[in-house]
Amino acid sequence: MIAVQAVPEVATAIRTSGLSKRYRRVYALSDCTITVPEGRISALIGPNGAGKTTLLRLLAGLTQPTTGEMTVNGGIPRQDPAFLASIGFLAQEIPLYRRLSAEDHIRAGAHLNPCWDGESVRERLTTLTIPLDRAVGTLSGGQRSQVALALTLAKRPRLLLLDEPVAALDPLARRNFLAILADAVAAGGLTVVLSSHLVADLERVCDHIIMLAASRVQLCGDIDTVLAEHQILVGRRKDTSAIERDHRVVQITRTPRQVTMLVRLNGPVIDPAFQTSDVGLEELVLAYMGQDAPSALAQLTSIGDDQ
Amino acid sequence: MSWLIWRLHRTQLYIAAALLAALTVLLLVTGLQMASQYHSALAACGASHSCGTLGSTLFLGSHAVGFLVIMTLGVPAVLGLFWGAPLVAAELETGTGQFAWMQSVTRKRWLAVTAGWMLLAAAAWGGAVSALVTWWSGPDNALQLDQFKPGRFDIMGIVPVGYALFAMALGLCAGALLRRTLPAMAVTLAGFIAVRAVVTLWLRPHYMSAITVTYKLLSPFSPTGSYWQFGQGVRNPAGQLIPAPNGAAIDGVPLGFLPASCATTVGRVLRPPASCRQVLAGFHGFITYQPASRYWAFQGIEFGIFAALAALLIGVTAVVLLRRDV
Repeated sequence: MIAVQAVPEVATAIRTSGLSKRYRRVYALSDCTITVPEGRISALIGPNGAGKTTLLRLLAGLTQPTTGEMTVNGGIPRQDPAFLASIGFLAQEIPLYRRLSAEDHIRAGAHLNPCWDGESVRERLTTLTIPLDRAVGTLSGGQRSQVALALTLAKRPRLLLLDEPVAALDPLARRNFLAILADAVAAGGLTVVLSSHLVADLERVCDHIIMLAASRVQLCGDIDTVLAEHQILVGRRKDTSAIERDHRVVQITRTPRQVTMLVRLNGPVIDPAFQTSDVGLEELVLAYMGQDAPSALAQLTSIGDDQ
Repeated sequence: MSWLIWRLHRTQLYIAAALLAALTVLLLVTGLQMASQYHSALAACGASHSCGTLGSTLFLGSHAVGFLVIMTLGVPAVLGLFWGAPLVAAELETGTGQFAWMQSVTRKRWLAVTAGWMLLAAAAWGGAVSALVTWWSGPDNALQLDQFKPGRFDIMGIVPVGYALFAMALGLCAGALLRRTLPAMAVTLAGFIAVRAVVTLWLRPHYMSAITVTYKLLSPFSPTGSYWQFGQGVRNPAGQLIPAPNGAAIDGVPLGFLPASCATTVGRVLRPPASCRQVLAGFHGFITYQPASRYWAFQGIEFGIFAALAALLIGVTAVVLLRRDV
């Protein structure tokens, strides 16, 4: 008898397939297929209008998809108390009742959630010297963000969806918040998707990336894997057709002396004419964002050609 | 859920309670004065056997308070405008809905509890104001018999509760559809006035077919109690409608439609001979009206119409809030 041991499957927090959302005639998100394993902190990156907010709102169940399917925390986003309890979503506009105090929000949360850690919010806000009894409308933008973030965490969700949560925070507060997030994930049972433009911040805490541009998914995967799949090639030769045939050139910059390419590899590069080097996250992100602005890129390229 | 609703709307609730308390004091004081004024006038006219003309000679209360009471026509609209319209609209406009709807409470439950409390509040305020006005108008109505007439019918009994429910539901629905507070308020006001006008002018007279009584002109007839009159006139023996008198007339018939002998005067007073009386006997008066006994049936029908409209609007709000993106 051979005991068959089931291979422990890595549970996925988010799995979408062909997800699209159309507003009137414009697609805010097209054919989005992503997977986020449980326990990751995923950086959702993309230029303005790329569809980041739409994706987060779809995952939170605030928006209905036009087409496609998704599974979040093992279920379809729906109006069900158990599903809602498993999701924490913080919108970019920091939705808080301006005339209510932080304490009012904490008490409301206690009435509206099955497991609610109001004490953690009080502790955090006291540490940050944010008054609990003042109307949140009178607090500064950064303080409001802190209140909203603490409230979102107090719900003890399994999946946390944060839409530019640190935009209003100063660098120190930002670092503190990201540290808290990393601790919460390390404690287990939490997955985070975090959208931001601050790649340096994301690089510090995130281990997964979803890159959107022009309403489509450009990259999705573990950051280490994604970085390993890309290389920068620098060479003197002007003919890059062989490289372009074998690999996917994300960005190409030509000067009279040399050609610099950021490529997504399809196997090893065995062309001695090019020197290869690793790519950083920021560089990679900028290269993919640059694709979104082809005219600017074309201009750069033509300047290089003229000389 | 209820706690959040209480916390969000308690200021409005306090203001509404204070206004209601002020109105209660005012109507209680003036109402008691009017009642005693009426009863002493009744006792005085009883002694002198002149109570028949009391309705045209006695004026109860003051014009200012009377005007205020008529203004309670607007109470349901105010409830819908300042309470109903901003409710869903502000959540959508300022995005605070994303706080409420991302807690572990479904939008269905959020709407059920919110709409439930708001409709209850609307019914309570509409009912309280209506009860006060109904009581306050008691003596005046006994005197003027006008509670069935448009304008009076609308501020007494149970219809104000129906209007308040409708206005609140209209506000909620407009807010969910338009997603902005000011337009929602404007639509609520316009919609409320339009529906009320249509129902009052074109539907209410036909809830039951009106009664027309034809009577001999010489034995005049007048319905009893607070009836609602649509038309009254006189027909000659040939059945032709006689226009309303505009000058000298006998029993409502202008002299021009009567034989010349009827114009006989003694001194300056008309003294028609017996032959004229015989001619008049051929004339018939008629009156078309809703009898006073139908008052509560009409109240019930009108309340039902507005309660049904409110239910419909809440249904639309639910569909919009649950199906569409929020």
